Amino acid sequence: MKTIEVSFELNGFPVGTDVEPHLRLLDLLRDVLGETGTKEACGEGECGACTVLVDGRAVNSCLFPVGEVSGTVVTTIEGLTASNGELSWIQKAFLDRGGTQCGFCSPGMVMTTAALLAENPHPSESEIRSALTGNLCRCTGYVQIVESIQEAARAGRVNGL
Amino acid sequence: MGYDYHRPSTLDEAFGLAAGIPGSRFVAGGTDLLLQMSNGRAEPPALISLRGLSELGGIEVSPRLRIGAAVPLSDVQVHPVVAEKLPALVESIAGLGSRQIRNVATVGGNLCNASPAADTAPPLLVYGASVELQDANGSRKVTLNEFLLGPGQTALRPGEILRAILIDPPNEGARSVFHRKGRVKMDLPIASVAALVETDGATCKRVRLAAGAVAPVPLRLERSETVVEGSSLDAETRALAVETARLEISPITDLRSTEDYRRHLTGVLVGRALEELAGEVA
Repeated sequence: MKTIEVSFELNGFPVGTDVEPHLRLLDLLRDVLGETGTKEACGEGECGACTVLVDGRAVNSCLFPVGEVSGTVVTTIEGLTASNGELSWIQKAFLDRGGTQCGFCSPGMVMTTAALLAENPHPSESEIRSALTGNLCRCTGYVQIVESIQEAARAGRVNGL
Repeated sequence: MGYDYHRPSTLDEAFGLAAGIPGSRFVAGGTDLLLQMSNGRAEPPALISLRGLSELGGIEVSPRLRIGAAVPLSDVQVHPVVAEKLPALVESIAGLGSRQIRNVATVGGNLCNASPAADTAPPLLVYGASVELQDANGSRKVTLNEFLLGPGQTALRPGEILRAILIDPPNEGARSVFHRKGRVKMDLPIASVAALVETDGATCKRVRLAAGAVAPVPLRLERSETVVEGSSLDAETRALAVETARLEISPITDLRSTEDYRRHLTGVLVGRALEELAGEVA
């Protein structure tokens, strides 16, 4: 098994490294690069805890081979936060509306929200619930998560984001 | 566990790599194959990626629809001509997995995986789709019916790939729908049904029905079609089609459903699809 060289953009910075070809993007992010904001729960593409954006599209990083990452632009939860540590308006909305409980699903929920609002800045409640099909929260219901996304959409509109 | 990963830049290069690595597998989105590999059901020494190949990309609309096998499902879903001409296909994709899955999973992969429950298969069967297969020596075309042979079994020969899905757009005035029922939204369907109706005045001139997850392969419901063709889609005919559909499938009992319930549900979905299409005719 030969290692492969990957080079891509992660949260605005160029990354180049040699990796084992059977790793998943999730392993590369967490174990090689130390970016542990992205979580693994099911590892089977069911729960969405590992959701990241690849070229702006939400994907399950647990099902994304590292062999496909070269040349792409990857955004993780770390990439939403400003360099001075200030949270993005989506993260603030989740905090303000109680959209997190244990918090393990939250990075994935937030990344799904980022992809949704980039495509559809004015989602209806049913569009929000449909977008969340691939993101599971096992603490509680989804009411406050949906409200957080509605709040994020409002904040995005007010701030012209 | 461990395997090599190759990302060829042309189809010829992909064929060459595959020929040199016995047991290697082609992969596009990988959402099914990587799962099979992580739980040990597949252990190829190498994956050969078809994901970025232009030969398998793109959607052509003229003279017939040609969907590249490696086009992600979410791109097919929002394509304006596909949405206009093949609404049942779009509906089937909308219910397939999650957005994260649809962003990488491909139509070609959904067919090559050859699950009896493949969501895109029933609509593609009612649209009379064919598939273009290619290996290092050339290409051939087979109907989707001929392509799907059994659970996990397709007409693909060793070293051959599915390159594109070919569909003659339905005639003007044709209507088509797709209905599925799963335990939860993300799960595979317990049963699914696609239906297409072409009418001449109040008469159903041409009817196509297909069902998924209720036989070893997604299959056309030809006897039910015969019941409906030439009728006015009246309630009595629809009821007969429902009963006929229940008898021409061969469902199994598994963790998602019993055989009996699948039989019942398939009838219900056929009835709903025909009722919906009857409403549009009237």
